[in-house]
Amino acid sequence: MPASTASTVTVFPTCLGDIAMPDVVGQTTRALAACGYAPRLARGVTCCGQPGYNSGFDADARRVAKASLAALDRTEGPIVVPAGSCASMMHLHWRELFRGSRHERAAIRVSQRVRELTTLLAERADRLATLGLAWPGTVAYHDSCHMLRELGISDAPRAVLGTVAGLTVVPTAVAPRCCGFGGTFSVRYPEVSVAMADATLDDARVAQVDAVISADPGCIMHLDARSGRRGDTPRVVHIATLLAEAGLR
Amino acid sequence: MNRPGPDPLTSSTFSQRAHEQLGKPFLRRAVPKATDHAYNALRDRFRDHDYDALREQGRRIRADAVEHLDEHLATLVAALERNGVSVHRAADDARAREIIRGIVRDAGGRRVVKVKSMASEEIGLNPALEADGVEVVETDLGEYVVQLDHDRPSHIIAPIIHKTRGEVRDSLSRVAGRELPDDAAALTGFARDTLREAFLTADVGISGANFGIAETGTICLVTNEGNGRMCTSLPRVHISLMGIERVLPRLEDLAVMLPLLTGAGTGQLITTYVSLLSGPRRPGEPDGPREMHVVLLDNGRSALRGGAYQDVLHCIRCGACQNVCPVYRQVGGHAYGWVYGGPIGAVLTPLFRGMDAGGELPHASTLCGACDDVCPVKIPIHDLLHGLRSDRVRGDAAPRAERVASSLWSLAWSNPWTYRASVTFARVGTRAAARVPSGLVRRVPGAARWLDGRDLPGGPRPGGRR
Amino acid sequence: MRPRIDPARLAAIAPTELRPGEDAVARFVAEVEAVAGTAEVVARGDAVDAAERAVLAHRPLRVVLAADLDARREALAGRLETVGVEVVHYEQADRATVAEADVAVTGCVAAVAATGSIVTGGAAGRGGALIAPVHVCLVERRRLFDGLLDVLRALPAIGVGSALSFQSGPSRTADIEKTLILGMHGPKAVHVVVVEGDADS
Repeated sequence: MPASTASTVTVFPTCLGDIAMPDVVGQTTRALAACGYAPRLARGVTCCGQPGYNSGFDADARRVAKASLAALDRTEGPIVVPAGSCASMMHLHWRELFRGSRHERAAIRVSQRVRELTTLLAERADRLATLGLAWPGTVAYHDSCHMLRELGISDAPRAVLGTVAGLTVVPTAVAPRCCGFGGTFSVRYPEVSVAMADATLDDARVAQVDAVISADPGCIMHLDARSGRRGDTPRVVHIATLLAEAGLR
Repeated sequence: MNRPGPDPLTSSTFSQRAHEQLGKPFLRRAVPKATDHAYNALRDRFRDHDYDALREQGRRIRADAVEHLDEHLATLVAALERNGVSVHRAADDARAREIIRGIVRDAGGRRVVKVKSMASEEIGLNPALEADGVEVVETDLGEYVVQLDHDRPSHIIAPIIHKTRGEVRDSLSRVAGRELPDDAAALTGFARDTLREAFLTADVGISGANFGIAETGTICLVTNEGNGRMCTSLPRVHISLMGIERVLPRLEDLAVMLPLLTGAGTGQLITTYVSLLSGPRRPGEPDGPREMHVVLLDNGRSALRGGAYQDVLHCIRCGACQNVCPVYRQVGGHAYGWVYGGPIGAVLTPLFRGMDAGGELPHASTLCGACDDVCPVKIPIHDLLHGLRSDRVRGDAAPRAERVASSLWSLAWSNPWTYRASVTFARVGTRAAARVPSGLVRRVPGAARWLDGRDLPGGPRPGGRR
Repeated sequence: MRPRIDPARLAAIAPTELRPGEDAVARFVAEVEAVAGTAEVVARGDAVDAAERAVLAHRPLRVVLAADLDARREALAGRLETVGVEVVHYEQADRATVAEADVAVTGCVAAVAATGSIVTGGAAGRGGALIAPVHVCLVERRRLFDGLLDVLRALPAIGVGSALSFQSGPSRTADIEKTLILGMHGPKAVHVVVVEGDADS
């Protein structure tokens, strides 16, 4: 894929992007465009099915994911997902979910095209670096568990953050640790979920960062909502939001 | 050790137990500190070595052991018997208790010293022996305190991770009949002297088995305190209770399994003591028990073979998955309601105790996968947790409210138009909710579960910067 | 059949094996010290002297000697008795007598360089090295194995009796608030004397 041609990519907004973070979807599209891609918002898609799949309701999950699968199978080129956990669901677990069904071949086809947002941006980090992005301050990067452990992505988001002048990424926790979102876990066990968020936010507070950055709307929604309630910890924002704040348009 | 009261697993929910644990300030400080310490020790231990390659070797050894379990067990039994060991097979916990009670009775045992054993916790051995009028003394310092307090261990290898020094001091002071100093060395010294007396006078020593080596007929025990060695050296009878899956085909397999067990558990190169016990005292030897018994415990293990959860039998009970689990870190082991806590407990408990009792536990995880990354034998714990969630749904054991919610979700989101409508509704609803009294918002089903401790997503941030 | 463990492969990935070219004695001493034990290396002729010094450093009233010291046992017993220390032979003493001893001296059937372990069994007995608060152990250089795999493969040929014990440094516990305490049930001090030279009794 030569960097000079504007290759078409399809943006899968995800359900949390649609409901809770519509800004992130727009910022994702602009970031991709700035890197020389030609992004198009996927039409007719719903959710990746992860909430049902992770709760053990495979049949329900299949029904939901089927709608997104069919819509995405009508597109071509990379499918960009601005959510590590959804990317992991679509890239790795759709094959499992549709195994033995008549959608299996489509699932294999589509899953191979799924790309997590920051990996695509990192491939064009040189180009990002020429855009004069600046964000003075220190941040912590929160690894989404599925993005880190299932997809093995940890360098790409950091490479993207490295293109922003004035920005320092500081390490916080002993090991990358789950923030306590866990999809339905966050409402099934709210008290434990919030305690886990506090552990992550306490680390960020100790590190005196200006913001916590992540590439997963699930973690962000949960952490930021907890941080908002506490009032003594930094806000939590999506990496595409940070790029927008750094001057990307 | 009598533990009065109902079974926590069936009489309470994970939420309730977690709530209780989250209210303990010391636990909230101590468990993260201790588990981080253990994880850092593991990382340091393997900093200059290829942990992944070693655990792959460990996985292969354990997979071979479990895949050909019948054959290896037959070899083990024959070798143990050649070594003069009496071997007993127990299909379930009741039978295991009965066998051990019988051995103690036949030996005229009045006093039993015990080495920490999760299998003996699993079968509830101590109350059964005590009902026969036998005095049972746990000799691992942590287990001793657990026993004095009629408590349960809360971590596989650090049983009193949840207790303060002050609590330990109170427990030991009751035994001493005087106020002991608030000092770990002095408390340990008192426990040593008290337990030394028990070692010297006990008739029977009971241990678990970290491994049973098939080729040589050897039980392997690891400890740091030396109590494993004491319990198997001084009393005239030694009984080892071993889960059938803990077999290793060859003696040399320990060259892989020991560094994995101790490295993953405590970060040590090797534990202070590793005992290899191949039978009772032989002619010409200066000491050792006159009788050695091995009780092979099934208790639901062989039923797991050939099924989707066979890999859980590879577990060597190192506790590493507890140390990295972000949920365990907050709530400790007691929240899981039975003897095995943390990620591996959330798999073992529904398998051993059934879906009705333990089916909730696989949900007590965010499926973050930290346990998979650290497990020394590469058990895909988070796949097993996910599988158990699916099984619960397929077996109709999921609560009705969950099934209804999932059906509604699936109905609405399997179609782009109804999805759009619900998304718009949710967006507008969230925005409107920010402007109406929170008491009203909390009446929306499920909303209170989010709003206890968290704001609405995307709401204004009065305390936030920028 | 699963293949046997490949020693070179294991040495490359396990911390319990020696690295190629690593000196076994130096590593052994370093590992013993890393787990709060003490160690020294002496020439063959100095073994009894070294053991005597190590024992007397603890000003004992009663010392237990294990049978696996072989000919050195008589020599050491003589020296200790000369300075007024009561000497008991483990296999001849009753439990109460052993329990009151201040120091135990044993040999070993093997030792492991990479882990700093001594391996006792057979003639030394199960409890001999365990009950006294101080343990002094004599290790013949030729019984020092590089790593765990070597020693495990050699054990059946050594013929070690009903019980073998690997022991690496003093007994320890960290059960109370993770505070490390030495000398829980076993000895709180372990001193290892490595005896160089080829000849053996």
